[in-house]
Amino acid sequence: MSLGAITLLILGLGVVAWLAARARAAAFAAPDRPRPHSLPGQHGWYVALWTAVPALIFLAIWRQVSGNLIYASVMASPEAAALPAFDMQRQAILSEAYALATGRAETAFNPQAGILAPVYESAIGFYNWIGLAVALLVAFAGGAWAYSRVSPQFRARTRVERIIMMGLLVASLIAILTTLGIVLSLLFESLRFFSMVSPVEFLFGLNWSPQMAIRADQAGSSGAFGAIPLFWGTIFIGAIIAMIVAIPLGLMSAIYLTQYASSRLRAWMKPLLEILAGVPTVVYGYFAALTVAPAVRDLGLSIGIPASTESALAAGLVMGIMIIPFVSSMADDSIAAVPQAMRDGSLAMGATTSETIRKVLVPAALPGVVGGVLLAVSRAIGETMIVVMAAGLAANLTANPFDSVTTVTTQIVQLLTGDQEFDSPKTLAAFALGLVLFMVTLALNIVALRVVKKYREAYD
Amino acid sequence: MTDMAASIDPSPTDWNGEAMRRRIRRRYAAERRFKLLGLAAILVSAGFLAFLLVTMFSNGISGFARSEVRLDVDFPRSSLFLDPAALEGFGADQALAGADFPEALNEAAQAQYGDSGRSLFSEGAWIGLRDAVRDDPSLLGRRATLWLPASTAIDIAAKGEGEAEAERLKARLAEAGRVRTGINWTFLRGSDSTDPSAVGIWGAFKGSLLTMIVTLLIAFPIGVLSAVYLEEYAPRNRWTDMIEVSINNLAAVPSIIFGLLGLAIFLNVMHLPRSAPLVGGLTLALMTMPVIVIAGRNAIKSVPPSIRDAALGIGASRIQVVFHHVLPLALPGILTGTIIGMARALGETAPLLMIGMRAFVAAPPGGFADPASVLPVQIFLWSDEVSRGFVEKTSAAIIVLLVFLLAMNGLAIYLRNKFERRW
Repeated sequence: MSLGAITLLILGLGVVAWLAARARAAAFAAPDRPRPHSLPGQHGWYVALWTAVPALIFLAIWRQVSGNLIYASVMASPEAAALPAFDMQRQAILSEAYALATGRAETAFNPQAGILAPVYESAIGFYNWIGLAVALLVAFAGGAWAYSRVSPQFRARTRVERIIMMGLLVASLIAILTTLGIVLSLLFESLRFFSMVSPVEFLFGLNWSPQMAIRADQAGSSGAFGAIPLFWGTIFIGAIIAMIVAIPLGLMSAIYLTQYASSRLRAWMKPLLEILAGVPTVVYGYFAALTVAPAVRDLGLSIGIPASTESALAAGLVMGIMIIPFVSSMADDSIAAVPQAMRDGSLAMGATTSETIRKVLVPAALPGVVGGVLLAVSRAIGETMIVVMAAGLAANLTANPFDSVTTVTTQIVQLLTGDQEFDSPKTLAAFALGLVLFMVTLALNIVALRVVKKYREAYD
Repeated sequence: MTDMAASIDPSPTDWNGEAMRRRIRRRYAAERRFKLLGLAAILVSAGFLAFLLVTMFSNGISGFARSEVRLDVDFPRSSLFLDPAALEGFGADQALAGADFPEALNEAAQAQYGDSGRSLFSEGAWIGLRDAVRDDPSLLGRRATLWLPASTAIDIAAKGEGEAEAERLKARLAEAGRVRTGINWTFLRGSDSTDPSAVGIWGAFKGSLLTMIVTLLIAFPIGVLSAVYLEEYAPRNRWTDMIEVSINNLAAVPSIIFGLLGLAIFLNVMHLPRSAPLVGGLTLALMTMPVIVIAGRNAIKSVPPSIRDAALGIGASRIQVVFHHVLPLALPGILTGTIIGMARALGETAPLLMIGMRAFVAAPPGGFADPASVLPVQIFLWSDEVSRGFVEKTSAAIIVLLVFLLAMNGLAIYLRNKFERRW
């Protein structure tokens, strides 16, 4: 019996417990007796939870524990003595035998796996039976105890609600756990990286070539991890070129839509701009690589600048288009938040609409717009697919937009695809880059939100 | 303004004077220029969107069509030693698997089109031959005319972008009425392949579907429950602040960071299977959850407090108030937010590359633990291919993805308009 089937069985028992307890509690209600504290269904839930939850928790733990026990018992068997001592080969045979035993594979590539499969099968069967027995015991014990407490005075509702409350709290703790998981996994792998490469070299080095020699005697690269060219490429594409495209277009779109456009045009154009934000980034990346990059290269060649197919300009342009709706919706919000009296006052003094916008509305809305731009920058530097598909891999330190630069996210993808060895600085460097990216976007977001909040308070 | 204040002229302003008129004209011209600039910004943004969509559609629409070349197969004389009787009932599949269809195709093509005849047909064209025989075993007894998928070169030539030689070949075939265009069912039913004329989208689509199921099953309950807790029950203390800060930050973390988390936790610590929809779904669920929490909180906040007061007043417990009254009323808003979050997850590529979902997967995944690809990753993989035939397939896959995203967003807007209540 597999663990999945045992889980289903326990859930079935829970349903039975619910029905039984509800029937018992339903018998309490009678016209001549005092009203019971809880409804029958609540008694049902109390008993069902006590039947299923402890047993399921046990199964979850058992799943982890039994894996190790099965492994130990297989390794202790006489058949396993013939296994090669070399670690990777042994693991390959064992995982193949496991696949055979669980029916995921039909034929073994390695004859030894065929011998080990029955051993595995019997060990899995043995430990699953133990799991089944204990789980049933836990379920019956919990259920019986809870069932014995069902009485007219028993406050089942309070108990059940307390459990639900705990469930709610646990669900909201997942967010903290995720944040913690991100920080810890990035920190842990980064620390391993920094034990091999000095943080000073990483943060201030000018040379990036992460290829490591596979053999000790191999000529050539021993790996250089100076990330400044990556940081520069990221800023160049995400914070400079993309913003040169996105800020004017986004800001002017927002101004036109809020101040000039008829409500009909606004109703049509606003969702249309939102679509730009909804297009998957891989589509933008393909568009950049297929259409924009060749056009940019031709442009560069026609004005006499040697241009690469993977130019910073192509990636930045397309990223700017993607960012337009972020800038425009933030600008829209902050312009709408400027008090009407300021606008009316300016118009009453005889200023034209455009003078009012340029001299009154935009300066008043500036903190909000700046906050929006910061959020857009944080979004742009974390963007991956456009730069992976349209920007290059060459870590150039150049300000020529027709040249190829590489970014932090491109390098993370590059370092983590292909062979992964978690003891080589090449793989671990990706986590260090991830840590920097995480910290920078976090800082940008905090600053942006604070700026926006301060500004909102100014007019409230 | 200061320089004007410095030289105050006591006489009243002559508004009809030439200087003032010029000034007004200049200001109005600036007004018009500014307005046009705004309109231009809108039009440029919308134009980019239109250009993007038109490029994708014009490139991709031909991916749904394929060219077929006529082949006359003389079955009795072919090297296909198959007994029509063996193709009835059980054992039919085995008999088919044992027969050498590629060789039969080879012979027939060479007999009809000369030595290079085989190169007119797609590498997987023999599958069409096999399926024809399976569907109608009586073919084996006679000479039959079949339409089989053309090779990539001919296919591209038929769509008007081929190389000169293929173009000439195609023109000769077309003159003889031996080439036609049909719907590319392989593209809708097949999986990844190295030959662009044999690739299909179904495998990636199924992978996306399985991944989205995992994402929904995890992100939706956790997201809704945390939203309920934070909005209705959470005491104001440091823990609650920490939860709120975490959720707001998670919503802004770059998606690739979630990929690193998935790689470090799900693959390296928990040893879940690589490239599997299970891991992809878990990773995307962590990314989608904050979106659902934020949408859920807004929806719950918009339920008026009088509903809660009324329920509490007639004796409901605080849990009953939320689960019987507040949640059902907030559900349309929560669902809208969920669909938008899922649409974002469906188009997400970067975190899935981190957890190994960029492998070549030639068969649709059978379960949550099988190696799988998803639509956006498939687009990425095809976009990397050198062969010319993959361009239209990539664009066609993008069309499929965009259609699904549009449908999901449309559903969200419909739900919002239909069920949204103003209190």
